Amino acid sequence: MIESPAQTAAPIQDKIVADDVDVFYGSFQAIKSATLAMKAQHVTALIGPSGCGKSTFLRALNRMHDLTPGARVTGEVLLDGENIYGADADPVVIRHRIGMVFQRPNPFPKTIYENVVYGPRIHGENNKRKLEEIAERALRQAALWDEVKDRLSRSALDLSGGQQQRLCIARAVALDPEVILMDEPASALDPIATSKIEDLIGQLTEKFTVVIVTHSMQQAARISDYTAFFHLGEIVEVGPTNQIFTHPKEKRTEDYITGRFG
Amino acid sequence: MAVAAQQAPRSLIASGNVRTRKFADGLATLVLWAMAASIIVLLAAFIVYMIYLGGHALTWSFLTRPPAEHEAGGGIGPEIFNSFYILILTLCFTVPVAVAAGVFLQEYARPGTFRSVVQFSAESLATVPSVVMGLFGLLIFVYTFHWGYTALGGALTLTLLNLPALVRVTQEALGSVPDTLREASMGLGGTKWQTITRVVLPSAIGRLTTGIVLIAGRIYGETAALIFTAGVSVTGNHPYDLNPFHTAETLAVHVWYTHSESVVPDVDRIGNGSALVLLIMVLVFNVGARIVGRMLTKRFTGRAS
Repeated sequence: MIESPAQTAAPIQDKIVADDVDVFYGSFQAIKSATLAMKAQHVTALIGPSGCGKSTFLRALNRMHDLTPGARVTGEVLLDGENIYGADADPVVIRHRIGMVFQRPNPFPKTIYENVVYGPRIHGENNKRKLEEIAERALRQAALWDEVKDRLSRSALDLSGGQQQRLCIARAVALDPEVILMDEPASALDPIATSKIEDLIGQLTEKFTVVIVTHSMQQAARISDYTAFFHLGEIVEVGPTNQIFTHPKEKRTEDYITGRFG
Repeated sequence: MAVAAQQAPRSLIASGNVRTRKFADGLATLVLWAMAASIIVLLAAFIVYMIYLGGHALTWSFLTRPPAEHEAGGGIGPEIFNSFYILILTLCFTVPVAVAAGVFLQEYARPGTFRSVVQFSAESLATVPSVVMGLFGLLIFVYTFHWGYTALGGALTLTLLNLPALVRVTQEALGSVPDTLREASMGLGGTKWQTITRVVLPSAIGRLTTGIVLIAGRIYGETAALIFTAGVSVTGNHPYDLNPFHTAETLAVHVWYTHSESVVPDVDRIGNGSALVLLIMVLVFNVGARIVGRMLTKRFTGRAS
């Protein structure tokens, strides 16, 4: 189990901080003035009903909106105090430091090995020995090594959905990022695969800061240290997960977690 | 939610209405199957008839000897060679331009005036009949450039003719690659160019190759555009000629020429034999397209498609 953040002795650093972030799609404002600090080496869950903007907010944290025509982000997102929307900040560097795992497993139609080393390769690593080391380490970190070590040269598309998603996590981990963003990573998976992914997320915090979007409150309660509740594009309430789920301060949060809407 | 007590007893046996519907269903299946099967029958009948007409002409000397002007016994060796030569020249021009334009339209161009104009131009170019394109080639390459009838002029005319189709093929091949893969690559810090060269193109290579080989079949069989540009004769003293500025009659042109202009006594033998060779070649391209496409897909994605 993850210990409660309150019991941790040293003060926990903010790894990534969103400050007054607005996201627009054309003239529609999907996120309204969101401010949220995400703690280093902890799991922050973003919860809320469908269409509340939690995924939109997540994608603002590594500039994925740059790829969407018509999307616009204002405000600041600070990674270790530096604004990723600053004039000199480069999306390629940012996405190297802030990895992302998507809702549906999206392995490349390449071999398992080529999927894992894709990131290091495009960032210039060509040493075969090094790439093999990276691949093994990343696959171990994603709890997939034992299942695939004998068939690294097989197509990633031959893996099961749950294995594919762990491969995508390995692919993100292979870049040795500081933050991993996950957009409902288990929503397309069966319960057994889901529980493997959840166990894995707990282990990932040994090295990484994790921000995860989930529509499942149980999942948020099981795996996260902090929870932010989104509603209609706004962050309604943020706090340690157990507090949000047992003593929510806001009426809307309470209504949502007790199932009165959602 | 109690069920009404006095509901009529229901059975599992098909009644009149169900039987009518099932009959229509069966009939539709039969008709559609028959239509599809007739395509196979047509193709098979066509091939059998061609073999019946031209089969006896297929001898080694026919396939390798140069054509004769007046006497019987001419072959089609140089024509087969020229067909491949012009095909390769054409692909050398067409593939780079068309793939680059297709990548631009599909991956870079945002919806807007420029993309619309390029798209419209490509589609308009695609509707130009090949004989008109041939006359255009005649005007430009033969007269304006003073090249006369040349393999190069023919290849450039065929490039204009096939460019739009290959742009379309490229766009469709790239469009079949799911956006989630582009997102995955960009999300790992890939640049747009890296994403295209390392993910999008390898994922599309099978479809792209299939499209290219199918278009190669069309180029191989093209006639009208070449009559006016590459000419209807082969270089006399040097039949297997690599000089792109020499005249180069292809097999398809030869089929037309022997039947309409030739004065040799064995016109039927040569015409039918040439047509059969042409047909076999085009069929080989079609089958080859599938095999090569599948092989490349497996090679680049580690998986049979």
